[in-house]
Formats: sequence, structure tokens, C-alpha cells
Amino acid sequence: MHRALLPFEFSEPASVEEAVALVDGGRARALAGGVDLVLKMRLRQETPERVVSLQKIAGLDHVRVDAHGGGALHIGALATLRQVEQSAAVTQGWPLLAEAIASIVSMQTKVMGTLVGNLCVGTPASDVAPALFALGARVKIAGVGDERDIAVEDFFLGPGVTAVRPHELVTEVVVPARPVGSAGRFLKLSKTADDIAKVNVAVSVAFSRGTCAHARIAIGSAAPTPVRAVAAEELLLREDWCPATAKAAAEAAARSVRPISDVRSTADYRAEMVKVLVRDALTQAADGAGVLDGHDGKEA
Amino acid sequence: MAKEIATFIVNGQGYEVIVEPHMLLIDVLRDSIGLVGTKYGCGAGDCGACTVLLEGKPVFACLTLAVTARDRSLTTIEGLADGAGLHPIQQAFVDAGAVQCGFCTPGMVLTTKALLDENPEPTRGEIKAFLAGNLCRCTGYVKIVEAVESAAGILRNGGAR
Repeated sequence: MHRALLPFEFSEPASVEEAVALVDGGRARALAGGVDLVLKMRLRQETPERVVSLQKIAGLDHVRVDAHGGGALHIGALATLRQVEQSAAVTQGWPLLAEAIASIVSMQTKVMGTLVGNLCVGTPASDVAPALFALGARVKIAGVGDERDIAVEDFFLGPGVTAVRPHELVTEVVVPARPVGSAGRFLKLSKTADDIAKVNVAVSVAFSRGTCAHARIAIGSAAPTPVRAVAAEELLLREDWCPATAKAAAEAAARSVRPISDVRSTADYRAEMVKVLVRDALTQAADGAGVLDGHDGKEA
Repeated sequence: MAKEIATFIVNGQGYEVIVEPHMLLIDVLRDSIGLVGTKYGCGAGDCGACTVLLEGKPVFACLTLAVTARDRSLTTIEGLADGAGLHPIQQAFVDAGAVQCGFCTPGMVLTTKALLDENPEPTRGEIKAFLAGNLCRCTGYVKIVEAVESAAGILRNGGAR
């Protein structure tokens, strides 16, 4: 850890167009909250020649529901984790996302850090990523003279590597309206409350006549990127809901991860914990979605 | 930008400082302005000892580029006391015995101020959650939480003890 940063050029563009012309993802890096970039510069893991602050760009700090766009949630590139966590729209409409952010315990990190920045770090241990996977979010990326829009699952390419190319910037994350009757759950296992996840899991489910009509399972820290457990989701859509189904889905989920051993856990332990967290998250979310209350007309 | 003379508004007072882009806020506060109440702990955003309030919100001064704090309102621990009279939060920390070695205390007090400005009547759980980014390596958290509860009560009564 170095006390001082190496010198660099500093730019504060006033628009996304100016900013994308400057950033190249290598020698010229975008700065939003700075919690990750400045730390990596102190560690000399990043030594940019130019830092491009996005902080002076107007219209990027929103957290709002678009009534005309089917009630989707729009989160701008400068919206802080704290802003998203505290937004009434989020706590009411997408509580799974607020729950995932709440698992990041440092207030300063949430006050400085942005949700988009958290994704752009590209870490497989992101806590917001599994929640956004489970909620079917999309990522808007501005380039020079154009804009593209990709599923959040296609955003992560490898540890620290995202789909953002040189001269591109993520401008917004869009979370669609939650499926009717759905409920979610985020669970995380970590060494201490303020450490990053050994494993984290987000699920979203809804039921019709005792079977899942909607099921999404996402797992973090257990593969080179956050992953969706598609085989487990398909099993849930096929089988009647019961504790054995949750267990079978959890086992299927554990087959969709490729964990490593590191200072936080062994690969085997991570795979076992994927089973436990997926089973528990599904069981708790199913409870939240009312499957056990017979709301769907069938005993669970 | 290269080297420039910038204005920092710290505790309501303007300071003109020569800054370069790579300077960190903690170094401007401690070395350029001479306000050494802000402590340098881990340098990595883990400990919260360097916490200052930027427009009322707690941030890590060790991970903030000084240039991004130009012309914005900053509060450091030196801004809380009124002359020789301690701020009610500081007094509550003293009265509760919530200070051991004292190194984490400026950050703890400022994070507490941000909490109570936003939520004047926090529960014990809310206090712990809000202060989770501030570590006390003497590990005396019980009295810190008690001090925050006590400060909240005092501030709700208009600062009278």
C-alpha cells in the first residue's frame, strides 16, 4: 500500500459524449465514487495516466421508476449504493436489491460507491450482481455516437473483466418490473460481516398452482463471474414445489458453479455452501411468495 | 487540470490550497491545512478512521481525490466543538467512556453526527449498522453504542444534558 498516488492527468467532462471520448479502460480510467479505483491506484494495481471524473456530468444520479416503460427501475451511473438502498421505490418494488446492498456493511463505502461502479469492478464477489441477475436487469452502455443495451448476465466476462470496451461507459442499469406475486431473497456467507462474500446467492420466485411460474437463481463468488443456475431454475419450473424440490434445485445449482480455493474458503466448501444458501433462499422466498399459504389454490 | 489553487470549505471556513490531481483529501486536510484530527488508518476503506463529512455524508478521506472535494462543504472533527465547549456527541463519548486509545474516535463521532442528522432516534440496530464502517481496534463497541444512544437523547432535547 502506497500513501501517495502516482501523478496523472485529471479531466471533469460535462457530458457522456465528452467522457467516452476520453476513457479507454486502460490508461484513462473513469472515476465515479472512487472506492475501488483510488484504492487500486494506492496499491499500484491501477496506474492510469488520466482519471476521468464522471461526477460533473448532470443527469446520471437518478434512481427512478419509469411509468411509461412498464414500471422499470432506472439507476444512473452516479447513483450511490446508499441512494439505491434508501430509495422508497426500491424498498417497495425491488426489496431484493435493497437487501443485497444492505449486506455491504460499510456506510462510507455505500455513500461513496455507486451501484454501476460496483458492477464495473467486474468482481465475481459483487453483492449487487446476483440480485440484478435474479431481477433480470439490463445494462446500458454508451459509446462514441451510439448506445447498446445488454443483459447483466452478459456484462461479466471474467474476474475484473466486463463487457465495457475502450471508449464506452455504463450510463444506467434498468431493472424491469417484478413479476406479479414474486418474492426474492439474498443470502451471503462471509468470514466477517465486513468482508467480501465467500458465496452469495439471490433468488426470485413466483408460484402458480403449487409450482414455480417464475424462477431465477444467481450465485456470486463461486465462479469466474456471477452465474445463473439455469438447470436449477428449469427444475423448479418443472416440479411441484416441496422441500425435496428445493433440495434438488440446490444440488443442481451447485453443479453450475466452478469455485476456487483461496484465503476465504476451499472450493469444496464453497460448493457445499452454494447448496445450503440456494436451498435456504428458495425456501424463504417461497414463503414470501405465499406458496405455503395456499394462495395459489393447492397445498404445497 | 494540472497544479492549481483550489478552495476547500472546511468547517465553514475557506482555505486556499495548491492542489494536484493525485493529492488525496486526507493529505490536504492534514498536511496542507493542518487539521490533524482526521486520522490515517488503513488507507484502504476498511477502518473508517479517516472519515470526514462531505456535504453532510460520511466519506473516506483516504480514498477521496482532493480535487473532487473542491468548493464543497467539508466537516472534520475540528468543526464540531464550539470553542472550548464540546459538541453533545463528543461530550456523550466522554461521559460514556467510549474512548480508549482514541484513534478511531474522530471518525466514530463524525459518522454518529451523520447518523443523527438523518435519523434523530435510531434503534440500537440502526446505530450498529450505520457505524459498521468504523472499526475500534481496542474493540470497545458497547460504550460507543451507548454514547450514540445518549447523544441522540441529548440532541432531541435541544442539546441540554
